[in-house]
Amino acid sequence: MKLWPVVSGVARRTLKNALTNPQIVLPTMLFPLFFFTAFAGGLSQLRHVPGFDFPPGYTAFQFVFVLLQSAAFSGVFTGFGVARDFENGFAKRLLLAAPRRVGIVLGYALAALLRWAVVATVLTIVAFAVGMRIGGGPVDLVGLYVLAMLVNFCGFFWAGGMAMRFRTIQAAPLMQMPVFLVLFFAPVYVPLSLLQGWIEGVATVNPLTYVLETGRGFIAGNPPHVLAAFALAIGMGVAFWWWAFLGLRKAEAAGG
Amino acid sequence: MEADNGIEVEGLVREYRKGPRAVDGIDLTVAPGEIYGFLGPNGAGKSTTVHVLTTLLPPTAGTARVGGFDVVKEGPKVRTLIGVALQEAALDPLLTGRDHLRLQATLQNVPKSKRAGRAEELLHRVGLADAADRKVAGYSGGMKRRLDLALALVHSPKILFLDEPTTGLDPQSRSALWEEVSLLRREAGVTVFLTTQYLEEADVLADRVGIIDQGKIVAEGTPAALKAEIGRPSLHAIPRRDADRPEIEGFLARFGEPLESSRDVAIRLRDGLGLTDIVRAVDADGVDIADLELRAPTLDDVFLAKTGRTLEGATEEAAVEHGAGG
Repeated sequence: MKLWPVVSGVARRTLKNALTNPQIVLPTMLFPLFFFTAFAGGLSQLRHVPGFDFPPGYTAFQFVFVLLQSAAFSGVFTGFGVARDFENGFAKRLLLAAPRRVGIVLGYALAALLRWAVVATVLTIVAFAVGMRIGGGPVDLVGLYVLAMLVNFCGFFWAGGMAMRFRTIQAAPLMQMPVFLVLFFAPVYVPLSLLQGWIEGVATVNPLTYVLETGRGFIAGNPPHVLAAFALAIGMGVAFWWWAFLGLRKAEAAGG
Repeated sequence: MEADNGIEVEGLVREYRKGPRAVDGIDLTVAPGEIYGFLGPNGAGKSTTVHVLTTLLPPTAGTARVGGFDVVKEGPKVRTLIGVALQEAALDPLLTGRDHLRLQATLQNVPKSKRAGRAEELLHRVGLADAADRKVAGYSGGMKRRLDLALALVHSPKILFLDEPTTGLDPQSRSALWEEVSLLRREAGVTVFLTTQYLEEADVLADRVGIIDQGKIVAEGTPAALKAEIGRPSLHAIPRRDADRPEIEGFLARFGEPLESSRDVAIRLRDGLGLTDIVRAVDADGVDIADLELRAPTLDDVFLAKTGRTLEGATEEAAVEHGAGG
């Protein structure tokens, strides 16, 4: 019993829905572009804050955040789709037809990744079109996008795990809000070294801070704590994969 | 134990955490190539049984083997053997009929080269070729059910589970589906486990029938054997006026035990009596009756004899207690 037919079938169907229905594709595409425009454009004067030192410029500084944010949210939005599938009963078809059900979760995860790849491509083109400069080489850029992929997996496995436990789209705030908080409790607008007060304390213990700093380092060409960032991202990915797997078991026990 | 495409169930129980025992220790065997009708009112446990046998729900206790494989320990193997059309068609409103067939064929690992052809064949077979490229959101209830049946057949399953497949279908579509099910058994030797609340459906299609009520199988056998068990026909008298009803009830009580009926006055005839005996007595006593009808036993009579309720009455009761669902 092969796993790939289930993975590819679920991924193709989920991706088709995500990319051909305006009500699904528009938020996925517009959110990151809006944030990129608002942050990189509207807040660009922050580069003049004393101590702000990011040679490629504020556009690149914000690009990395928005890239990671889009990766996380593409995962979360795919989780919304999982919840909808359970709510309208379509998940029953998948559970009945898939010999190996773990393939269903992996199929959704692959769809989340491909969905994000489309967004990331558009975002990257827009960023270069508005004059983003980078200091890193091709290997650094690969590192950045691989980190973002891992964030995408974390976002999906978290949201998918919730979706399979609650099996209703009403759980959407529970899927989105923690991701939103983790993202915005990282050093979004200025580096960690310039944060003060409680936000500095929260950002210091936020694992995403290290992923974000490493990502920004990749685009600048001098990534800090690379191993720690990858270890954190992979560790969270494995933990959330387990969370999603247990969610699948809950959904199976409930009969879809 | 059936090693190919039979079904064996022993002591199957399914309890819901805050609900009743939906399936309460049922035993049943379906032979390979047999059409087994599972008859009962809403809420009797039919759909829950199907969900367990198709690996959608784990049983609370008992064992079930489908195609020789245990539904709990060997779920993946069971799923490769079976086709399932659930009571509520599990479809994605954003996909077209053809998309659904392609997806199902992919999930079931139908060879890539055969997927398009198989989809086309099934779309024609269920009369959806013209609507194949329309989104399912625009399909009627009947079209959704036909698509659901086509999806269940994509990988040429050895065992087919149909959960109330004709509910909501017009008579023409219902007959077409009956024909299709008979054909599948006749030409491909498919075993069919069919739940229904329609007596006629069980009577026409099923080789054997299991009657389930409140989670327990109350009768099982061929439709003919079950009806023969009841044996005696029922007599139905239609009063000319409502006011005549008590008199007719008293009159007919001499010929058999009364049956519950809201529309007419009915009795189960005692052995040895026929319609002519009653007609003679009506003439002799001058009883005013608009019409008299002798009915051979039906599966509803079997249900009544086993549960003390008519199937229709039990369905209404269940609807009041639990809402819809089986």
